[in-house]
Amino acid sequence: MSEHALPTVKPADDPAFQLPHSLAGLQLPLLGGGIIALLIGVVLAFMVSDDPMPRFGFSAYLTAYLYGLTIVLGCLFFVLIQHLVRAGWSVVVRRVAECMMILIVPMAVLFLPILFSLFFDGKLFVWTDPNFAAEHGLNDEMWSMKKVFLNGPFFAVRAVIYFVIWIGLAVFYWRGSVRQDETGERAATDRMQAFSGPAVILFALSVSFAAFDWGMSLAPMWFSTMFGVYIFAGSVLAAHCAITLVTYILQRNGAIKDEVTVEHYHDLGKYIFGFIVFWAYISFSQYLLIWYANIPEETEWFFSRQQGAFGYLSLGLVFFHWMIPFLGTLSRHVRRKPGLMAFWAGYILVMHFVDIYWIVMPEARHLEYGVIPTMGGPLGILASLLCTVGMIALVTGLLLRVAGGNRIVPVRDPRLLESIAFENI
Amino acid sequence: MSETKTETTVHGMMAEFTSVDSLLTACRRIRDAGYTRTDAFTPFPVHGIDKALGIKPTALPWIVLIAGMCGTSIALMMQIWMNGIDYKYIISGKPFISLPAFIPVAFELTILLASFGAFFGMWALNGLPKFSNPIFTDPRFDRATDDRFFLYIDAKDERYDSVGVRSLLADTGSDYINEVVEDESPKDVPKPIYLIWGLSIAASLVPLICILTMRVTNSSSPRFHIFYDMDFSPSKDAQQVTSLFVDNRAMRADVPGTVARGQLEDSLDVLTGIDIDALTASNPPRVERLVRAYLQDDKDAQAAEDAEAASAETPAADATAEADATAESGDKADADAAPADDAETPAAAEPSVMDTTPWLKANPLDIDAELMANGQKNFQIYCSVCHGMNGRGNGLVNRRAQEKMFDTWVPPSSLIQDTLYSDKYPDGKLFSTISKGIRKMPGYASQIRVKDRWAIVAYVRALQKSQKASLSDVPQAKKTAVEKAVAVAKAELKRQAEAAEKSAAEQSEEKQGGEQDAQQK
Repeated sequence: MSEHALPTVKPADDPAFQLPHSLAGLQLPLLGGGIIALLIGVVLAFMVSDDPMPRFGFSAYLTAYLYGLTIVLGCLFFVLIQHLVRAGWSVVVRRVAECMMILIVPMAVLFLPILFSLFFDGKLFVWTDPNFAAEHGLNDEMWSMKKVFLNGPFFAVRAVIYFVIWIGLAVFYWRGSVRQDETGERAATDRMQAFSGPAVILFALSVSFAAFDWGMSLAPMWFSTMFGVYIFAGSVLAAHCAITLVTYILQRNGAIKDEVTVEHYHDLGKYIFGFIVFWAYISFSQYLLIWYANIPEETEWFFSRQQGAFGYLSLGLVFFHWMIPFLGTLSRHVRRKPGLMAFWAGYILVMHFVDIYWIVMPEARHLEYGVIPTMGGPLGILASLLCTVGMIALVTGLLLRVAGGNRIVPVRDPRLLESIAFENI
Repeated sequence: MSETKTETTVHGMMAEFTSVDSLLTACRRIRDAGYTRTDAFTPFPVHGIDKALGIKPTALPWIVLIAGMCGTSIALMMQIWMNGIDYKYIISGKPFISLPAFIPVAFELTILLASFGAFFGMWALNGLPKFSNPIFTDPRFDRATDDRFFLYIDAKDERYDSVGVRSLLADTGSDYINEVVEDESPKDVPKPIYLIWGLSIAASLVPLICILTMRVTNSSSPRFHIFYDMDFSPSKDAQQVTSLFVDNRAMRADVPGTVARGQLEDSLDVLTGIDIDALTASNPPRVERLVRAYLQDDKDAQAAEDAEAASAETPAADATAEADATAESGDKADADAAPADDAETPAAAEPSVMDTTPWLKANPLDIDAELMANGQKNFQIYCSVCHGMNGRGNGLVNRRAQEKMFDTWVPPSSLIQDTLYSDKYPDGKLFSTISKGIRKMPGYASQIRVKDRWAIVAYVRALQKSQKASLSDVPQAKKTAVEKAVAVAKAELKRQAEAAEKSAAEQSEEKQGGEQDAQQK
C-alpha cells in the first residue's frame, strides 16, 4: 500500500533462511542429553513410586509427554488458524510453527510408554485396575457405564484415531508448505486454505477427547466438560510462546533478521496476552461452576488440589500463570520489544509446565479421600523436572533436526512480501 | 477578499498532497523544523505517521487502565458491601464474602468501565463532541476522505509565522496551500430546526398529558393490565385456602429443623444455660432431647424438657417458697430474710441432691457497660413490676396484692438473698428460671431475647452485689466522691434527727403548754 521503502524478498537460497550453524551444532547434544535426562528422570520417578504413590513413575512421564504434546498441538492449531483466516502477517513465523507441528510424528512414538502402562493394572490410569470400583465402593451400574468408554482396547483405538488425525493434518500442511518452497505454486496455498475449515473441526474434537482421555480420566469419577478447552487454552498459549522464543533465538543467531520485525513480535505478543486471559477465563469458569454447584464428585478434584503443597501451587497458578504475566504483557511498549517478549514467552513456558504438573501429578496418589496429594519429596520433584527437561531437550533437538533439513521461512509463499512489510501502527 | 481575510481569525495553515509519500516527507520536514501543533488528514490509516509527525504517545491506555481498575474495585466493594455487610443472605451455603462468586461481576464491570474510559477518554482527548472545525471552510478539504492528503499547522504553535510556514510547506512539494480561517458562515440556527425542536418537545409531552388526564378523570372501562399476572399474582396470602395440599391450607408449617435467619447463632449452652459438654457426660438422653427441643423445633421434646425442668425445680422450689413466704417484702424484710436464709442453708449447701444439672457457672456474654445498661432496661421493663426496682421483691404488683390481701398470691422472691447468689444459684440456672419461670412466675423466653435474658442475669448479679457492697468494692477513683456523699448523707441524717428531736421536744412543750392553757381555761 505504501510506496516508500518497499521491502524486498531475498532469494530462496539466502543463508538468512537456513538454520544458523551455531544452532545446528546443538542438535546431537540436545537429542542425546534429552534422552538421557528423560531416562534418568523416569527411573528416578519409578523409585519414588512406593506405597503412597503407586502411579508416580508413569505420571511423571505423562506430565513431560503432555507438556511436549500440548506445545506441538498448539503449533498445529496455529498453522491451521493462519490458513483458515488467510493471515498475511504470520507467514514469516509460520515455518517455525510448522517445524514444531511436524514433531507430532515422533510424539506418536513417545506415546508408546503410555499405551504400555495399560498392561499394568492401575499404574497410570486407575480405571485400568479391575478392582478399582469394588475397592472404592462405586456404584456398579454407573461404573459399568463408565467402562464402556474407559477400557484398554477402546482407549488404544481412540489414541490411534487422534494420532491419525493429527499426523494426517500435520503432514498435509507440512508437505504443502515445503513443496511450495520449490514450486512457488499459488494452488498449494489455496488447497491448504480450503481444507483448513474441516481441519479445525477435526482438531477441536480430537484435542478435546484426547484431553478427556489422557488428562481427565486420571480421576475417572471426576468430569468437567470444559476440560478439553482448558487444555486447549494452555496449549495454544504455550505454542505462541514457543514460536516467539524460537524465532527470537533464530534471530539472535543471525537468521531471518530482516524478515521478522518488531511488528511480528507485537502480534505474537497480542496473542500471548490474549491467551493468558483466555486460559485464566477458562480455568476460572471451570472452577466457578464446580465451586458453586458444590457436588462432591466434582469438587473432589479441586479439593485435593487445595491441600498441602498443591494448595500453594493452585494459588501460584492464579498469580504466576495469570496475574503477573497479564500485567507484564499488558503494555504495547512491552510487546514491541522482542527481548522482553522472549522473556515472557520463556516465563509462560515454565508456567505451562506447572499447569500440566498440577493437572497430572495430584492423581498419582492413592485415591483415598482425605489423603493429601504430595509431590513425592525432593526426589519426586527432581524426577518430574528431569523428565520434562529431558522432553524439552529432546523436542528441541528434533526441532533443530527438522529445521536443519529445510528452510526456516516459507520462501515462496504468495503472502511473504505482505508479511515482511506488515505494520501494526 | 484579502482584506476580509486579514480581519478574520487565522487558525492555521493547510497544505494538500497527492500521495502518502509526499505527505510523510512533508511531515518529517515539519517535525524537524520544530513544529509541534500539527495534524495530518488522510483517507485511510497511514502507518508510521505518528512517528513522522512526532506525535507523543497517547495517555489513553493509562486512562483505560485506571478506569478498568476502578471497575474492579467498585465491583468488589459493592458486592462485599451488599452481600457481606448490608444485606446478609445465605446463598447456596456459601460465605457472605466469597470471592469466586464476585469475580464474574468484577470482570464485567472492569470491562465496562475500561470501555467507558476508552470511549469517553478518546472524546475528552480529542475535544469532542465538536460540531465543526474551521478546516472544513476550505471546500478542497472534502477530498481528505477520498484521494487527497492534508497537513495542518496550527497558528497556536510557537514557531508559527504565516509567511515562513507557507514557504516551508511550498518547499515540501505541496501544490495547494491555504490559510485556515474562522468559519464566517452564519451561526444562526436555521428556522426549520426550531420548528422541529418545538414539534419534538410538543410530541414528547403527549404521553405525559395522557397520563395526567387519566389521573384526574373518571372512566367506565376497567383498568388496563399490562402484566396481568404481576397485578394478580397466583400466589396465596396468609390464611387462604388452596387445593394444592391435602389439608387445603395455603400456609405451610416450616420443615422440621428449619432455622430462621438470625436464629441459632448461639450455641446450645447459651440457649439453655446448661454446660452441654458436662451434661453429655452425665445424662446423654437429656442432651438429645435438648437438641431436639432447641435445634429441631420438636414440640414433644420441648414439653418433656419443660416437665423435667419443673420436676427438678419442685423440691428446691418448696424450700425457697417457704423462705419467700417468711420473707416480708420491702425494706423491713431484710432483717427477717436473714434468719430464713440461715435456716435454708443446709438444703442449699447440697443442691446436687435435688439438681444435678451442670449449669453454666458464668455468663457466656462479654459483660460491658452496654450490656449492663441493656440488662437494667430489660429488668426494669419485665422484672421490676414484681421484684421491685431494687430486686427485693416489692414491686408494684406485689404491693397491690399485699394491700388487697389476695390469699392466692405468692410473693415474688427477693433476689437479694444468699440462696440466689451465684455460688448457690449459678448464672445458667438463673437464666433458665427467667426463660421457663418458677412457681407463679411465667417463663419469659417468648418475650425476651436470649441475649437480653443473659443481660438481665448480669444485671441481677450487679444488683445483688450492690446490696452487699462495702467501701472496698468501690473503685479508687470514685472512692473519695462516695466517701464525701456518705459524709454528706450522714450529716443530713444527723441534722434531720436533731431537728426531729428538737421539734418533738417543742411539740411536747407546746402540748404541755396547751394542756396547761386548757386546764387554766
